[in-house]
Amino acid sequence: MSEHLRYAEGGEVHLDFHGATNTTIDFIISRYGVEAMDAIFKKVGKDVYRSIHDDLVAGDTGQLVRHWRHFFSRENCDYDIAVGDDEIVLTVRHCTAWHHVAKLVGTPSAHFCDQTSRTNEGMAEGSPFAIDTEITGPGSCRQVIRRRA
Amino acid sequence: MIPSDHFTRFYNEVFKFLESQGEEQLQAYFLAISKNQEKHILELIQTKGLEGMEEYWTHIKIEENCDMDIDRNEDRLELRMNVCPSLSKVMDNDAEPMGRYCDHCAGWIGPIFDKTGYHLVYDVIDRKKPQCVMRVFKDAAKAKEAERDVKLLMGWPGHKIG
Repeated sequence: MSEHLRYAEGGEVHLDFHGATNTTIDFIISRYGVEAMDAIFKKVGKDVYRSIHDDLVAGDTGQLVRHWRHFFSRENCDYDIAVGDDEIVLTVRHCTAWHHVAKLVGTPSAHFCDQTSRTNEGMAEGSPFAIDTEITGPGSCRQVIRRRA
Repeated sequence: MIPSDHFTRFYNEVFKFLESQGEEQLQAYFLAISKNQEKHILELIQTKGLEGMEEYWTHIKIEENCDMDIDRNEDRLELRMNVCPSLSKVMDNDAEPMGRYCDHCAGWIGPIFDKTGYHLVYDVIDRKKPQCVMRVFKDAAKAKEAERDVKLLMGWPGHKIG
């Protein structure tokens, strides 16, 4: 398993970008439909996160787990990751992004969490793994990496 | 969650999609983002003018990890971006950068200055270099004069250049 972390960041975080993401989701969906937004998120998963995508295709989940730890910690989320023999489970109890947007606009887009579900699908496309995202409540979710049957 | 650190790379993908749909779609998106940004900056400009702008960008300089010099005098505010973190991340990217990525900046802030009676002169210098100079003037004639020294002048929705 590699120790690589291609997309690490340092310094401050600018949470207001999540508000711009929310605006973008509403803009794209209102003009082009959910399919267009989904396609953009899948491209983010596959092209922007190409290094993670390539690792998953090669059967290596290590970088994705490190990526989750790095960014969910940077954004001060309440989360944990359980690495088991058959599955890896990321449980997010308090998503900083969702709650920050709720503070800015009241109610985040109904499709706000699609950025997670579809980007995960894009990263896993063509790999031996599936990443399923279950929204468990407002600003909480469960993301599970499993080998495809 | 797409981390806030990576919003700019997501933004870049959105720009590429919208550019493929036509220029007017990109301009409409800049206006939507501009409207979103009003909640962060409009009142500061309306109540404190150039000082409010300085307050906003001082906060941005810290949160977005900008290498940027801010200079304000009675007539104008100048932001000199020495290393723009936004374009830097888009260029250090596994996906292809959108050629006109820099256009979004004047695209969202220009309409806000239009609403508040200030005059923007946005010099991107070179779309492939993460540096730019933004000047905001109280006086329209001084802004017009400043446009003479610009290398690559940006327009925005409602303010086309050339």
